[in-house]
Parts: sequence; structure tokens; C-alpha cells
Amino acid sequence: MTEPVFYHWMVAPVVIPLVAAMCCLLAGKSLLSVRRLLGLGGITASLAAAIYMFVMAWDGTIFTYGLGEWPMPYGIVFVLDRLSATMVLLTNVLALFAYLYGLSGDDEEGAFFHFLFLMQITGINGAFLTGDMFNLFVFFEILLLTAYVLAVYGGGADRLKGGMRYVFLNLIGSALFLIGVGVLYGITGTLNMADMAVKAAQVGPGDAMMLKAGAFLMMVVFSMKAAIFPLYFWLPKAYASVTAPVAAIYAIMTKVGVYALIRTTILIFGDDRGFVTGLLDDYLLPLALLTLVMGTIGVAAARSLRLMVAYMVIASVGTILVGVGLYTPDGLSGSLYYMVHSTLISAGLFLLADMILNERGGSKDRLEPGPVMPNIVLLGMTFMIAMIIAAGLPPMSGFLGKVFILSAAADTRWHELAWIVMLTGSFFTLVAAARAGSMLFWKTNTAPAGERTRAQRYLPVAGILLVLLLWVGFAGPISEHMDRTAAQAFETSNYIQAVMGGGQ
Amino acid sequence: MTMLLIVLLPFLAIGPVWFAARFSRNASFYVAATTTGLGLGLLASLVPEVMAGNVFVDSWPWIERIGLNIAFRMDGLAMLFCILILGIGLMVVIYAKFYLTEDDPIGPFYAMLMTFMGAMLGVVTSENLLLLAMFWELTSISSFLLIGYWRHLPAARQGARLALMITGSGGLFLLAGVLLLQEITGSLELSVVLASGPQILDHDLYWAALICVLMGAFTKSAQFPFHFWLPNAMTAPTPVSAYLHSATMVKAGVFLLARLHPAMSGSPEWFFLVTGAGLTTLAFAAYVALFKHDLKGLLAYSTISHLGIITACLGMSTKWATIAAVFHIMNHAAFKASLFMSAGIVDHECGTRDARLLSGLRHSMPITFGLATLGALAMGGAPFFNGFLSKEMFFKEAYTLSQAHPYWPDAEYWAWIFPVVATVGGLFSVAYSVRFIHDVFFGPEAHDLPKHPHDPPFGMWLPVAILVAVCVVVGVVPMYTAESFLYATASPVTGYDMPEALHLHWWHGLVPELYMTLVAIAAGIGVYTQWKKIAAIGDKLPTIVGKDFFESFIEMLIEGARALDRLVDNQSLQRYMAYTISFATLAGFMAYIEEGWQSGTGVQTPASLVSLVPVILLIAGAFMTDFFQRKRLVSLIFMSVVGLIVSLMFIYFSAPDLGLTQISVEVVTVLLLLLALFVLPQWNPVESGWLRRSRDILVAASAGIGVGALAWGVMTRQQQTIADYYLAESLPKGGGTNVVNVILVDFRGFDTMGEVSVLALASVGIIVMLTGKKPLYPNQVMPFPEERFPLMLTSVTRVLVPTALLVAFYIFMRGHNLPGGGFIAGLVAVVALAMQFVASGLDWTKGRFKLDLVRLSAIGVLLAVGTGLAAFVWGRPFLTSGMLHLHPPGIGEVHIASAMAFDTGVFLVVVGSLVLIIRRLSRYQQTMEVQDKAGGNE
Amino acid sequence: MLEWANIIAIVMMTLSLLMNMWRMAAGPRTLDRVVALDTMYINAIALIILFEIYLDSVLYFEAALLIAMMGFVGTVALSKYFLRGDIIE
Repeated sequence: MTEPVFYHWMVAPVVIPLVAAMCCLLAGKSLLSVRRLLGLGGITASLAAAIYMFVMAWDGTIFTYGLGEWPMPYGIVFVLDRLSATMVLLTNVLALFAYLYGLSGDDEEGAFFHFLFLMQITGINGAFLTGDMFNLFVFFEILLLTAYVLAVYGGGADRLKGGMRYVFLNLIGSALFLIGVGVLYGITGTLNMADMAVKAAQVGPGDAMMLKAGAFLMMVVFSMKAAIFPLYFWLPKAYASVTAPVAAIYAIMTKVGVYALIRTTILIFGDDRGFVTGLLDDYLLPLALLTLVMGTIGVAAARSLRLMVAYMVIASVGTILVGVGLYTPDGLSGSLYYMVHSTLISAGLFLLADMILNERGGSKDRLEPGPVMPNIVLLGMTFMIAMIIAAGLPPMSGFLGKVFILSAAADTRWHELAWIVMLTGSFFTLVAAARAGSMLFWKTNTAPAGERTRAQRYLPVAGILLVLLLWVGFAGPISEHMDRTAAQAFETSNYIQAVMGGGQ
Repeated sequence: MTMLLIVLLPFLAIGPVWFAARFSRNASFYVAATTTGLGLGLLASLVPEVMAGNVFVDSWPWIERIGLNIAFRMDGLAMLFCILILGIGLMVVIYAKFYLTEDDPIGPFYAMLMTFMGAMLGVVTSENLLLLAMFWELTSISSFLLIGYWRHLPAARQGARLALMITGSGGLFLLAGVLLLQEITGSLELSVVLASGPQILDHDLYWAALICVLMGAFTKSAQFPFHFWLPNAMTAPTPVSAYLHSATMVKAGVFLLARLHPAMSGSPEWFFLVTGAGLTTLAFAAYVALFKHDLKGLLAYSTISHLGIITACLGMSTKWATIAAVFHIMNHAAFKASLFMSAGIVDHECGTRDARLLSGLRHSMPITFGLATLGALAMGGAPFFNGFLSKEMFFKEAYTLSQAHPYWPDAEYWAWIFPVVATVGGLFSVAYSVRFIHDVFFGPEAHDLPKHPHDPPFGMWLPVAILVAVCVVVGVVPMYTAESFLYATASPVTGYDMPEALHLHWWHGLVPELYMTLVAIAAGIGVYTQWKKIAAIGDKLPTIVGKDFFESFIEMLIEGARALDRLVDNQSLQRYMAYTISFATLAGFMAYIEEGWQSGTGVQTPASLVSLVPVILLIAGAFMTDFFQRKRLVSLIFMSVVGLIVSLMFIYFSAPDLGLTQISVEVVTVLLLLLALFVLPQWNPVESGWLRRSRDILVAASAGIGVGALAWGVMTRQQQTIADYYLAESLPKGGGTNVVNVILVDFRGFDTMGEVSVLALASVGIIVMLTGKKPLYPNQVMPFPEERFPLMLTSVTRVLVPTALLVAFYIFMRGHNLPGGGFIAGLVAVVALAMQFVASGLDWTKGRFKLDLVRLSAIGVLLAVGTGLAAFVWGRPFLTSGMLHLHPPGIGEVHIASAMAFDTGVFLVVVGSLVLIIRRLSRYQQTMEVQDKAGGNE
Repeated sequence: MLEWANIIAIVMMTLSLLMNMWRMAAGPRTLDRVVALDTMYINAIALIILFEIYLDSVLYFEAALLIAMMGFVGTVALSKYFLRGDIIE
């Protein structure tokens, strides 16, 4: 875009939930229905904006929005391309489902659920939209701080323990982020990502080491958010102990890290970037495979359903990054397809695990013989379908996503390794899923069961499964869209042109 | 379209059959039967064309980027399997209705059966190999559910899981194989793949693709050494066994071999692997079958053995062997399904299927006896039965191979292994067939059976009768019934390279295969008469039970996973921190490894002697903070020193704004930490050993050195940065001379907006975290008996507050042009208010400071956001700053910059949030004091 | 002359900061350290003002003002901690 573009809807996914969140604070503790209305309204409006943005970005235009109308690269900028539009849309769809589930009772456990939830969306949406390194830090702070609080939301020693781990490890991450941004700024003299890409390419040999060090530190930070080996340890306990709707929205959190990795390693540290060309070309894929291995080991070793799902999140991050780590449009496209799938299905599984937990009374979600659930048939069916999707069995989205990545890995130097690890991983997930299913639904004892799940709780889960079924049914056009998205992401010159060209 | 419909029909029926079961079992049955019948009808419409040698391919694009199309192919082979799946499916549907008791929910059963049927039809009609692989896994999943149908039986659960694991992993291999084939041929379409045989054989990846495909086929068809899941799957209801484990699912493996036969066979690798697996399986399984007491177990091993025959035939790969394979596929399906159903009838009527208990049933169950005997004769390969014909063909090919061998020309005597193993397999086959009939139906009549045996209802034996009839008719008059059909079905497998005519006859003259058959029958009966003695020998041999082996293998993997998980992840936060920091240090170090150290070239400012002292103090302060870390309070004091010196340094280097902020933040931190310290142990005991501490020192030191090096590196460089722009444009465009403040509220106001939201969040977070919590360490500090609120202090601070607030106001107002601004002003106000809390107590202050702090910070954030939104009114982007020029009477011109409103928002959030946090923390302590008092009164 | 006086004062203030640090490290009681910290705040104020005079600027006055205020509050909080343990009751 050569002309400055002032499309105010570009800030809508950030401003709407933020304002709604603050209004929730104003509403105070007593007006539950008002807060629910604010939450629902905020999320729906943000979703509407996200859909609109997705449509706008469909034809490949890159929109930029300079906050405060400062010329580039001096002001903060929001950038909307297909990739960020897809991520924002995914976030808001997921948020709606998670929130709807939360409305069925979890939001009554404390006064600030709606506020926190809306802030969470604010942070995530902002992180996907911003085109500025430091602004990314700010949104990371928003989403992380919210996540810290949500981690302990609802109380209990388990949550506090998992939450503390989450807080401490991610605080280190934040510190590293600051150091990394500082170094990058010190060397490139800019914070704007597009500008940084240009400047990084020009860095001379005398500054190469510093630039690289800053870059690597940023990669560590993003890898930590994405939960890559050996930086994923904050995840399992925290994810397994939080309230269900929170766990569901957490499913997108690792993807923020993945997104940041994709964006920075392709845009700033991608092709033709002088000393930081292909920064992670040799490192990301092996680490992704290790993550996949460790995640799968966790899945096999897990003794409770939610812990198992949490490790599935880690394994899925590994799978996604295998595709990303190939650094080919095909690989990225497959990863994006898989990413949407894995985000939604992990969220769905967390919600489902919560329903199972509630129906199993004292046995909770531990993978041991338990009482016959009051709703065993319906839950069992749902669980089976969800697990088939999650474990990557045909004909579901997980399978297709994996096939995309597998076929992208063919003909590359990672061919054998990636295939063997991914397929073995699938096998173990299959084994674990079958064990879990037969333990939860088949191996029953006579202990007293819990409450029957209210019908409205099925709604979000059914919604997620429906979206995923559509994800399979329309896999053709969707994968083509992902192809275009990936191609656009690799066309970094367009991105730079859109950002730097506008507003001058 | 018809093909799509055939495959889709069963899937469409899943819902209806389940739903219909709500009304009655019959309704569900009728839906299932009608669906299957309809499928058969649709198929029938295609049969004439296919028999004429036509191949139908229908294709709809689905995911073009990976070449995955919804494409179906109907040729002879697909037709044969469709007939098996639907035909035997119909028999099973009928049979199941009578077999399942009232307690067994029939809706889910038929639903799963329909799922399986659809998946299976998909496998055999797929034109696209990836589609085939997808249906393939679907058969595994649906068979998992069907085997585990009686979920209350532990054996059923285990069997189901075992089957899923083995066949599921085979599916993954198949997936890899299919993708490799795509890599080789560039297509997933069978039409292309089948036509590129030579290209595949010559490719480097042929080996890998072959192994993967064979793994898929062997696991599915229960070939040695993956056979053991099949006997364990016999815990399934008998209709399931009859359907899945005789006619359809296990045949999927040999179907795959047959399907890809034209493309992948013709190499020594194919020959040795496939034939080897087939022969081993056929002999081994036939031997084991003889000693199974469970009728279904016997039939299961017999199935494995017969699948071995088919596999071996396909491996031999000659024209006639291939035809024999196809022929045996249909023959076996017919007689084995009938036998499974007969076994099911026996089980159903007698309450047991243990061959040791059953005896003399021919009196009480004459119909079953007749049907089972005919079926067993076919299985044993007796003349005039269909089993005989295909077995003869197999024997003939085995013998031919021993005479002249394409891949093993110097085999000499070794080549005899083919006919010998074949005959031995046949021998045991005869033996167990005889045992099946003789033990159950002959001998004295058993009276101690769980149920009183009698013949089943008509509906139950009718399917058996139909299947047996097929066996007999084909066996007696093959030339009229099977010849053209076989020709049509075998053509695609041979790659349309068929002999001119087949001429199926049960009499070929005195040929080697006849002798082999005679030997097998005679010796087989002989072996049966001695089977107990042989069994005794067999018992002495060490047995490897595949299931146990596999189960313990999986158990081992899971335990291994747990052990590894524990090893890596011992739930210790310290360890995670060490991992994380080490990894980050390593990442930074990578840059050094790759590029080497480069020091900056910037001109360094000379340091005066005086300016060195603060640096020394800073180092000393930091060191002391660490040194006294076990005494938390002392450590805190040294931290204050560090803060003070840092702010001095900021001032010295001409950054007064930062200095102001630093010192204010410092004091607020001290206040908060003191509040927290009250509920914490005053001493930090030594908790870890020297090894751990040395590790920590190492990690911390290297990370510190790394960060130091980075800071040094950045500071010794002077780059062109965007800061130059800010310096230049602060006044002209931002309307302020204090660049720091203009950056905060204008250039990067959006960041500030985010950060104040973070502050508001933090205060809410503190509330959420402390709600309903009690301090873990009560009474760490005994309250000393001194006066709570010393008079001096209270009086002084009460005067201080208005003064301090005035300072805050002053700093706020001048902020845009001189050091100051909303953030610092807010901090000053917070400190002033906190002073009141300290000096006069929580209750006193709260009574006089009745602001809802949560709402205050919310309003602050909203004000900041509102300033941003206001820009929309003028059509500018979010947070574009503006200036209002007012001319109120008497005062003159007043500039109200939007930045001012924004800064007010910041101020409000800082005050609201921080006071809230301080207040909440001190109330947290009070809950404890109140509890202590309550405890003391008891 | 005045300039020299200023410089000498700055040097002496710097030295006294060092001495404060020594007292702080040596202790022996925590109370000694608190007092040393308070003195350090005061010396810092003096140093800033002297520095300001030296540079002939007015920019640093607020810094001195704030340090005065913050130092006071910090010391009070620490003292209250010693008195009662709980700084806000």
C-alpha cells in the first residue's frame, strides 16, 4: 500500500475487548448478568471484526494501521496480512466457545472472570496484529499477566502450584524478551519489524555477533511461549490444573509463540538478511522433533486426562514446528492448517475433560477405573470423535494436517527423520488415546458418579467439533488459502513495502 | 456416482440404525439389512459391466495440493471385495439379530457395523491411495469398537486395544508407503501407480515403500509375526468375528497386496518377503490351530493360516499363483464365515465353545452339525468343495517353484521347501478341520453343558446354509459358477495379463498337487488321531505368546516414558529455571560460536574519578544483596542501595525522568516487599546441597556474564536509531520538550496504554490470588509491644500528604516539557497515601479515603483508551494526538493537549492499582492476625 | 573559588557515600544498616544538588526533592517494620 490507510477496524480486536473488560471492572462484583452481557458482547463484536478483517485480507492485500499517525518506522504499527487475519479469527472463534463454556458456571467462582477473559483476548489479538517488536512485548505482558491470574482462578493448591511455575518461568521469558529487544534495538536502531528486517540485512560484520545474540535470545523467548523442548516445563501442570474455559483459551497461547517464531524467522531472520539469514534453519526442526518426542512421551506417561491433553498440546506444537522448520511455503501451509486444528481440538478436549471430570465424581479425570458416568454414551461418543481428531486418525483434520506436513517434508534433508518421528509419535498417541478411552469409558467400577453434565456445556464442544468437521470437509479450499497465506508470509518484500511504504 | 453411493450408504445409515434402536430391535435390524441390501442392489447394477472387463473410475477433487481426491475405482478386484463385504455383511446382519441378546444394545452394534462396512467398502473401491489409507485406519478404529463391544470383559478391552495398536500402526506404515509411492510416481491415483510398475521397481525408494506397504498389509492380515492380535480379537461377539476376522478386515491386507501387485511385485524383494511371510504363517498358524480348545481360537488360527496361503500365492507372483490367491480369497471368505457362525451357534446354544467340554452335539443339533461339517470339509480342502480347488492351484504353483525358480536359480534342494511347507500346512489344516467336527459333534453326548443345546432358529442358520451352499456349488461345478467371475476378478491383480481361459476343474489327472493333497489328507487324519501326544510335545517347547510379548513391550514403553518423564521433569521449579536460563545462555553463546566476539567501536566517555565511586557502590550493593540473601531484610536494604545508585547514575547521565521513576519505583517495591516479608520466614535456610548450589552458581554466573557482555556490546556501539527522530520531532510534532514523556504518551502511547492495562490487571490479579488464602507462615515476626502509631510519625505524615500530593500535581503538570509526567506523579501520590497507611493504620486511612480503587484504575484505562478513540472523531487513527486551543475569559489562551488526558489516565491507573495492591497485601496480613486472635480465645 | 568549594564538597560527599556503604556492610545490627541507608539517601540528595550547582542547571531539583521524600518513606517503612513487624496495621 502506498497510500496511508486508516481503517479503524484494525484496532477493533484490541480496543473492543479492552473497553469491555474495563467496563466489567466498573460494573463491580454484584452485576453478574451485566458482566456476562459485556463479555459476550465484547467477544462477539471482536469476532465480527475478526471475520471482517479475514475477509479484507482474503485477496492478499496487506493492511497497515499506524497508531497515532506517526510515520514509519517511528510509530507503532498494526499489520494485517493473511497470516495475522487467520490467527485473529482463530483466537476469537476459540474465545467464543471457551467463554460460552465458562458461562455455564465457571464464571461464578470469582468476580473477575469476565474481565480477565476479555483482557486475555485483548492481549492475544494485539500480539497477532502488531508489527512492532516492543509493542509485541507489551501484548505479551498483557496476555501473560492475565494468564498468570487465570492460572490460579478458581483457587486450590494444585492451581497455585501450577500457576507459580507458570509465573516464574514466564517471568524469565519476559526478562529475556526485554534483553533481546534491547540488543536488537541497540544494533538495528529500530523496533518496527519491517524496518528491523531491512536493517538486519545491512548489519556489518562488526556487529554480526551482537545481532545474532539478540536474535537468538528472541528465539528463546518465542520458543518458550511456544513450549519447545527444553522450555516447555511451565506448561503441563499449569494447563492440567486450570479451570476448563481457561485451559481452552490457553490452547491458543502456545500458538502466539509459534506465530512470533514464524513471523520473525521469516520476516526478520529469513532469506537475504545478511548475517541472520535463515537463523533457525538448522535448529528449529530438530528441536521441534525433540519437542514432539517429549510431548508424546508425556502423553504416554500421563496419569490424568487433562495432563495427557496438556502434553498433546506440546506434541502438537512439535508437529506444527516441524512444518515451520522446513522453511518452505508447503511446510508452513501444512503447519497453519494443522495449527488451527490443534488449537481447536486441544481446547475441545480440555472442555470435554472437564465434563468427564465432573461426571466421574471422586475419580476425577485420573486414568484409572472409575464410576459409570451418567452420560456415558454421549460423552463416550464425543470423546472418541475428539480423540480421533486429536490423535491424527483419518479422516479427520489431524490426519490431513499431518499428511500435509509429511508430504512437505518429503524431498528435503529432513525427510526420513521427520517421517519416522512423526509417525512413531502418532502411534504412541494412538496407543495412549486408546488406553485412556478404554480406561475412562470401559473399565468401570461401582463408585458413586458425579453430576450429569448440563446440556448447555455440550454446545461449545459440539461447536468446536463442528468447526473441525468443516475443516476437513472444506480442506481443499482451506488448504489453498493456507498455501496463499504461506506464500504471502514468504513474500517479505511485500510486507516491508506495505509497512514502510505507507505513512511516509 | 453409484460407487460413491455404495460407499456412503453405510455411513448414512449409522444415525438411523442407532436411532431406530430406540423404538425396537427389529427396526434397527431392518434399517441395517435394507441398507446392506440396497448396497448390494447398487453393486449389482455395475456387475455386468465389470464382468465385461470395464473399469469405472469416478473422481471428485478434494485437496489438490497433496493430490488427495475422492476417487473410486470399480474393477474386478473391487467388485469381488464389495460382494464379499456386502454379501457376507448381509448374512452377518441377519445372524447378529438372533445372536445378540436383549441385554446387548443393538443400536450401537449395527451403527458400528455400518461404520466398518462403509470403511471397508471405501478401502476396496478407493482409486486414490491416500483415500485408501484413510479408510484403512477407519477400519481399525471401527474394529476397535466392535471388538470391545462387550466392554465389561477385560479380555475384550485388551483384545480391542491390541488390534487397534497393531493394525493402527500398520496403517501408519501404509500411510508412509503411500506417500513414498507418491514421491516415486508423482501421483496417488491407482491408475497412474499401477501403470508405473517398472519405474517403482527401479527407484531408490522402492525398498522403503515396499517395507511400509508390506507392514500395512501384514499387520492387517495377521501375518507372522504380527498375527497375535487376531486370536485375541476373538473376544468380540461372533457376528463380528465372522465378518471382520474371516471375510473382510483381515482380507484388507491381502487386498492391498493384490491391489498393488501389478505395481510392486516382480522383484526378488517382493518374492522373498511376501512368500516367506506367507509360508511361515501358513505352516505355523495351522500347527497352532490344531491345539486350540476354543473353537473360535481354532478358527482364528486357521484364518491366519489361510491368509498365509493367499499371501504366499501373491508372493510367488506367477500368473496362476495370483489367480489362486484371488480364488482362495473368495473361497475362504465363504467357508470361514459359515464356520464362525456355526461356532457362534454352538456357543450360543451350549453356553461354551470349549472343544474339551463339547461332545456329541450331532444328536441335539443336527442342522448345525450338517452345515458345520460341510464348512469344515471346505476348510480342510476336501474334493468337491471350493477350498479344494484353490488349494490345488496353490500346491501346483508351490511344486512348480521347486522345479524352476526365477529368483533363486541355485537353490537346488532348498527349493523343495515350497511344496513341503505347503503340504505340511495342508496337513495340519486337515487335522484341525477334523478336530473341529469330531470333537464337537461326535463322541458321547455331553450333559454337563451350561445350556441345553438345540438347533437355533431359522434366521440364525439360514446365513450359514447360504454360505455353505456357495461352497458346495462352487466346489462341484466351478466351470459354470466361478470361472468367468474369477477371470474378471483376477484380471486387475495380474495386471490384465491373464491366460486365455481358466478351466477350473476338480480333476486334473494324476498330477503332483493331487499327491500332495492326498498326503495332506491322510497324514492330517493321522495327526488328528495322535494330536494329544503331539500336543504334549508341543507343550514342552517354549512358547512365545505374541500378545504377552507385545503387551509387555507396550507396558515397557509406557513405563519407560514415565521414567524418562520423571528424569526430565521432576516437578522442581529450580530445575526448570536452570534449564531455561542455561538454554538461553547457550543460545546467546551460539552467536559467539558462530561469529566470534566483536567489540564495539563507539567512542567511550572518559570516566571521572568521582563518577567511579557510584559504580563501586553499585557493584558492592549488588554483591551484598547476594551475600546477605539468607537474611532477607538485610538483602532488601542492599537492594535499596542498588536502586538509589542506579537512579543517581540515570541523573548523572542526564536522564532525570528515569531517575525519578527509578527512585519512586524503588520505594514502592520496598514497601511491598516489607509487607510480604511479614508473612515470610525472615531467614532463608540452606536447602540444597553443594552440588546443586555449584550448579546454580555456574548457571547464574554464566547468564550474568552473558547479559553483561551484551550490555557492553550494545553500549560500545553507536547506531543510528529512531531516537534521533524522537529528539527532533518531540517539540514540533509532539508538543513537548520532555522527549521521554512525549514518547510515553504520544510516539508510543499505545505501548503505555498496554502497560497501564497491565498495571490494572496486576492489581486485579493480586485480589484474585489472595482471595480466600491464608498466609503459609504465620507469625514470622512477633509484633513488638511498641506503640502502633507513634504520635510524631502520625502528625508529621498527615502534613506530608497534602504537600506530597501538591508535588505530584506539580510533577504531573510539568511533565510534558520537563522531567515528570503522569506515571511519576502517580507514584508520588501512591507513596504519599501509603505513608498514611503506615503511619495511621489501614482502618483510619480507609475511612478517609473512600475511593473504589478497582473502578479508579478502570476509569484510568478507559480515559487513556478514550483519548485514543477521540481521534476517530477527526478521522485520524487511534491515539493520534491533538491540541485544543481554548480561550476562556480572563485566563487567556489555554492549550489542552490530548496527551494530557492520556497522562491523567495513566496517573489514575497508577494510583488506583498500586494503592489497591498495598491495601490488599496489608489486609492479607490482618486476616492472619484476626485468625490468631480467634485461635487464642478458644 | 566557589567552584573549587563545590568540587571539594562533591568529593567529600562521594567519600561519605563510600563510608555509608562500609557501615552498611559491616553492620553489625540491621538497625545500623537502616540508619546507614537513610544517611545514604541524604548524601545522595546533597550530591545531586552540588552536581546541579556544578552544571548550573535546574533540571535535577525535582530528583533531589523526590529522593528526599522517598528516602523518608523508605526509612519510615523500615523503622515501622522494626517497631511492629507489620508496616501497615
